[in-house]
Amino acid sequence: MKRGLIAVVVSVLVLGTAAFWFFGTGDHKVGFEIVSFGVIIVLVGFGLLFAYRRLSSAHRGEPAEDELSKKIVQKTAALSYYISLYMWVFMIWLKDRVTLDTEHLLGAGILSMAVIFFVCWIVIRVRGLRHE
Amino acid sequence: MNNRIREYRARHDLTQEDLARKVGVRRETIVFLEKNKYNPSLKLAHDIASAFGVTIEEIFIFDGK
Repeated sequence: MKRGLIAVVVSVLVLGTAAFWFFGTGDHKVGFEIVSFGVIIVLVGFGLLFAYRRLSSAHRGEPAEDELSKKIVQKTAALSYYISLYMWVFMIWLKDRVTLDTEHLLGAGILSMAVIFFVCWIVIRVRGLRHE
Repeated sequence: MNNRIREYRARHDLTQEDLARKVGVRRETIVFLEKNKYNPSLKLAHDIASAFGVTIEEIFIFDGK
């Protein structure tokens, strides 16, 4: 319950900050910023989904997390860490070939890590943990 | 490993939610078990078998995979 509420608060704060950055500053937004904003919206949606699942479980009188949900998160963390290493290697390769500010490169890397985690979580849930 | 959770649940007239509450897991875990997408821990297997009043072997069938 507590972690569900924390997830809601963090998601709302991230969404508010991203909206302030995107709409509040007067600069003309280019493709990279628009894509970043879109990715942030998707990740906030993931955070809210996570919070909803925990709160609805608590409402039904079930535990917020059990052995399956813990294993899914552990497996997701391990797999996404492994894939993220390759993503950073790709970013280093990309750095020399594309004109990109360091802040943009780091921002893209961090957002990519979050996307990788999200995708791994979905894949593991769909495939299941039968052979673990 | 296969299991007969769905069959025993129907026999005892329990919903997935009822069984989940009885063994202290989320309903989703019961869904995963029934679809054979997850092999439970020994404790959970024991709790499920106890909930139906049978042995673990009667619910979970180890087929070598």
